[in-house]
Amino acid sequence: MTKVALTLSINGERHEVLAEPDRTLLDVLRHDLGLSGTKENCLEAECGVCTVLVDGRAVNACILLAAQCRGREVLTIEGLARDGQLHPLQQAFIDHGAVQCGYCIPGMILSAKAYLDEHPVPTEAGVREALAGNLCRCTGYQKITDAVLAAARELAPER
Amino acid sequence: MRFQYYEPTSLTDAVDQAARFGGEGRFLAGGTDLMIQIHRGVLRPRHVVSLDRVPDLAAVEASGETILGAMVTHRDLEHHPALQGRLRALVEGAEVVGGHQIRNVATVGGNVVNASPAADVVAVLLALEATVVLLGAGGERVMPLAGFLLGPGSTARRPEEILTAIRFPALVGPSASAFLKAGRRRAMEISLVCVAAVLALDERTGRCVAVRVALGAVAPTTVRAHAAERVLEGRMPTAGVLREAGRAAAGECRPISDVRASARYRARLVEALVPRALARCLERIGAAA
Repeated sequence: MTKVALTLSINGERHEVLAEPDRTLLDVLRHDLGLSGTKENCLEAECGVCTVLVDGRAVNACILLAAQCRGREVLTIEGLARDGQLHPLQQAFIDHGAVQCGYCIPGMILSAKAYLDEHPVPTEAGVREALAGNLCRCTGYQKITDAVLAAARELAPER
Repeated sequence: MRFQYYEPTSLTDAVDQAARFGGEGRFLAGGTDLMIQIHRGVLRPRHVVSLDRVPDLAAVEASGETILGAMVTHRDLEHHPALQGRLRALVEGAEVVGGHQIRNVATVGGNVVNASPAADVVAVLLALEATVVLLGAGGERVMPLAGFLLGPGSTARRPEEILTAIRFPALVGPSASAFLKAGRRRAMEISLVCVAAVLALDERTGRCVAVRVALGAVAPTTVRAHAAERVLEGRMPTAGVLREAGRAAAGECRPISDVRASARYRARLVEALVPRALARCLERIGAAA
């Protein structure tokens, strides 16, 4: 199949990719760009490990074509830390023991970021609902919820 | 996956491309069903035509008649200010679909065209007596949603036709809508049964003047519960009459037993949820008065 040239904006950087038009964003992120922080699992938009933000909204990269992202801003887990400083969400996940095997965490953190960007003063029920599309088989979710609520308090003075 | 990908920037181009591809082409909206079917090898289109960059398909118009563009997402329905009053059932139907990742991209048009018997928003649209607008090479067709849905995954849409919009008349006077869904958990769940109800009362007498009940996951398509509606029409909506409507709905629905629930359990859910949805309409009418 003929490859097409795609210009993608990922984590604030422009990337030129030559890829088949039927490739998913997930596939291009992991295999063409080496951004393997976005995980691959069910490939059916059920588990949420491939969650990235496109124009600020959480989406499953496994069912989104890379070509659909032209002209849009993609944020992956690699784009969260600034100048070697972890994002408050990342730090809160560490501080609260919210990470066990870790596979779901990039998606969890990006879903949480999309939620906190819209709800700077979150509720526990709101956090749980925001993370409904992200499955974790290790932690039981409580520490993840605690971490997101703590990160919101940390982020509050910045707003 | 092996397909060519197109992003037309006008409806005319989209229709022209689809007409060329015929049965080998597919329109892509949110992709939450199509991409999964392609991954699984159930669908093998050679051409995928994205509607993402076709202008004006994502608008919600709500002056009198409501017009939902096909590319309006479930998220859009959840947050649209025009849908928070009498049309509240649309918000309730949209907000229980998938997680945010799904609702951020899954469209109303895709939901209708996908024709799942369990589609929550489609049940609400049926209760709102929606019509669908289709655009093909031969021009525009408008038909009732009820006649558009033929079976699981099957509609009256021709391969080259784009479903461009869904419209329904305004609810006026003392009227309200409500949606309820039964599932084993509250998120990321396909409905075991869902119920959408629209109720309008006579302003003077308080009797039911218009009643529309739609059911999901109890027949090959989302369906209207006409027998239940007839129970209520012209009568006072007492608790007893609402229960009678629930029994009528349970009697007329034709659920199957599958991995998620037995037919008998589904009928019992219908019997319980129909009166509850109607009672919620009554509460809302009362609260608005």
